[in-house]
Amino acid sequence: MDIIEMKNIKKDYPLGETIVHALRGVDLSVEEGGFISIIGPSGSGKTTLLNIIGCIDTATEGSVKIADEDITALDDKKLTNIRLFKVGFIFQTFNLIPVLNLLENVEFPLLLMKDKSWSRTDIRARAEKCIDDVGLKDFMEHRPAELSGGQRQRVAIARALVTKPQIVLADEPTANLDSETGANILKLMKHLNETENVTFVFSTHDPDVLQYASQVIKIKDGAIVEKAGSERQSRSRQAKGKSAGRGVKGGSRPKGRI
Amino acid sequence: MGIIPKIAWRNIQRHRGKSLVIGIILFLGALIMTIGNGVISGMEKGLRENIMNRFTGQIVIVSSNQVEDNVIFTPMGKDVEVITGYDKIKKVLEGRDYIDRFMPAAKGLTLILNENGDLGYSLVLGVRFEDYQKMFLHNVQLVEGAYLKNDDRGILISSGNRTRIFDEQGFWLVPRGRGVNEKNLPPEELKRRDSLDVRESLVLMGGSMENTSRDLKVDVKGIVRYEYLDEFWKNFSIMDIESFREAFQYVTASDSLVKISSEKQKILESDNLDNLFGDTLVEKAVTTGKRYDITGLIGKKVVQKRLDVDSGAYSLVFVKLKDAGRIGKSLEDLNAKLKAAGAEARAVSWKAAVGQLADMAMIMRGVATGFVLLIFFVAIIIIMNTLSMAALERVSEIGMMRAVGAQKSFIAKMFFAETAMISFIFGGAGILAGIGAVHLLDLLNITTDNHVLVLLFGGNVFRPGLDFIDILIGIVELVTVTAIATVYPLKVARGITPLDAIMRD
Ligand SMILES: Nc1ncnc2c1ncn2[C@@H]1O[C@H](COP(=O)(O)OP(=O)(O)OP(=O)(O)O)[C@@H](O)[C@H]1O
Ligand SMILES: [Mg+2]
Repeated sequence: MDIIEMKNIKKDYPLGETIVHALRGVDLSVEEGGFISIIGPSGSGKTTLLNIIGCIDTATEGSVKIADEDITALDDKKLTNIRLFKVGFIFQTFNLIPVLNLLENVEFPLLLMKDKSWSRTDIRARAEKCIDDVGLKDFMEHRPAELSGGQRQRVAIARALVTKPQIVLADEPTANLDSETGANILKLMKHLNETENVTFVFSTHDPDVLQYASQVIKIKDGAIVEKAGSERQSRSRQAKGKSAGRGVKGGSRPKGRI
Repeated sequence: MGIIPKIAWRNIQRHRGKSLVIGIILFLGALIMTIGNGVISGMEKGLRENIMNRFTGQIVIVSSNQVEDNVIFTPMGKDVEVITGYDKIKKVLEGRDYIDRFMPAAKGLTLILNENGDLGYSLVLGVRFEDYQKMFLHNVQLVEGAYLKNDDRGILISSGNRTRIFDEQGFWLVPRGRGVNEKNLPPEELKRRDSLDVRESLVLMGGSMENTSRDLKVDVKGIVRYEYLDEFWKNFSIMDIESFREAFQYVTASDSLVKISSEKQKILESDNLDNLFGDTLVEKAVTTGKRYDITGLIGKKVVQKRLDVDSGAYSLVFVKLKDAGRIGKSLEDLNAKLKAAGAEARAVSWKAAVGQLADMAMIMRGVATGFVLLIFFVAIIIIMNTLSMAALERVSEIGMMRAVGAQKSFIAKMFFAETAMISFIFGGAGILAGIGAVHLLDLLNITTDNHVLVLLFGGNVFRPGLDFIDILIGIVELVTVTAIATVYPLKVARGITPLDAIMRD
């Protein structure tokens, strides 16, 4: 099943007298469970694309479906609910609420849900498990300011996963980290992608990422110029008995090619 | 603790500086507001109680011919219409169980004549003095001489009037047979003691521009002052009712009283017109006799005779109620009953009767309220500014919360919780401190004779006070200020999008 379906997405930004065409008609389908990396030069439209998928921004033209729900024309309240229930977001920096400790930060989205099916003890247990998963069990009571950059990104990952979303989006999650820490974060994301069966879509400038990604989408000047599935990945997944053909289909209209 | 108060409370601590700025503003605002309310409340209560208890009662009954309600401080030259048929009114009043006591009086502006032609004036109240003192809590205090007995003839000159008469007409009044009390003489006059023009009686002529009356020599019985609100009443001297009636030519003929116009006066008692009285005033005299049948009067030859006081003429009846809080209802009932009894009179509230004074109190309240509002305005601006800045400083944080799934309303609640907590703590402390300050000011027993301050204090002693309702109003005001000050910052905070947060990165 396609968890993300984008058709002919265009995004224009007015910039003074002129208009910046940040996205120029992107078609994109992402299958459930993928680990998709978006790469491309600076200003190519990676962030814009992720923002539209994550319901943080809306497209000027085109339609977007997230987990079979058309989000193209939703109002702010409904978009917020999609962000809360279906999507997890990891930013480059400034992911955490400064006045809450690590545990409270991870619990935060679950508390926003006000969902009867999540009891207070369930929330606590789920948050603790996610924190454990990212290896920060010993830092539960710490506030964000007392953590390193890498640790903070781990917390952000834990928080993105805590609501059991269908998609986790990450815009250059490793950009502010040294390469070793960055690699560890990517490894962790990959691990969670497999264990929690969550689709990951992230942008990066890091060439190392190619070895983890199930699909790599190359974007340039607001259009997808290349989509490459990793054979090794596909094969390894098939070997694990998971559904084959995960990854990306689609292209971009102006320059689209397979 | 829920997540919103938790975040709010920790944000207050985290942004201590801003919280403190807002807190101190709210504290000061609440403090000044509470003290202001206490002063205003005390002033109103003071004025109300002092005037009601010591000067007018809660209700004043006036003639139905009387046009304006403000009968106490009427503009110069305007007399209060005479009440006819007091016995009817009396019967009505006696039958009302909500009335505690009442007393009739006559009020007017009398001219003070002098051989050298200088004219002076004084407001006088004609009453049975012992009854008056009993009714009005012995508010009249003796400075020199003696009080009037109920059936005594004579006048009690207010020391305010004595000083004014001395300044304007050059003679110093003393009670008959008592001589000059040098202690009360202006110090510079003490040096001229030998040439001092001392008098023990006055020649009065009741009346105004509307009618001239007979001149009457009255002995000064005493010099008095008012214990409360002397500043406002010091122009009133008090005279026995019989002398008043003679001076003002209140004449009774069977049931109806006739106040003789200047023209009739000329016809009936032309020899009584005082020679000292200048032509100018006579010329100004206006005939008000339309209501009376002149020919009938001429035929009757009205003679002033000593009558039982109650069947005589008055111009005001002061009424004290058992429950001062029921003025409105009592007025309604009383007016209906007066009408039903055919009494040519109507009842007005003390507030209406003292007109100007109540207006002045209103002005003072307006000024004080304006001051409090100004403080609030400044407070709102500062709080609004500080909070808006706080919202903008937290764009990343708020935008991230929104990105993670927090609705606009969550952000608004969080922000409001923060301000509400600061407001509760600091504003609450301000109100408490204000209550303490008002209490302290009350205990200090500050007294004054200053004209403006007396009004502000509602009496000679500063007695600020807060009722439960005042405190409640204070709380409402604080909540309102907090709410108004948060509207715009909340709008700013609600408007922050996840995109704003990302663009910050
Ligand atoms: N708010 C905006 N207003 C105007 N132009 C914008 C805005 N946001 C993005 N753009 C433009 O849209 C284009 C795509 O920007 P985007 O941020 O998506 O690029 P990116 O691939 O994420 O770049 P980077 O690798 O530097 O993060 C750029 O040309 C950028 O200048
Ligand atoms: Mg970017």
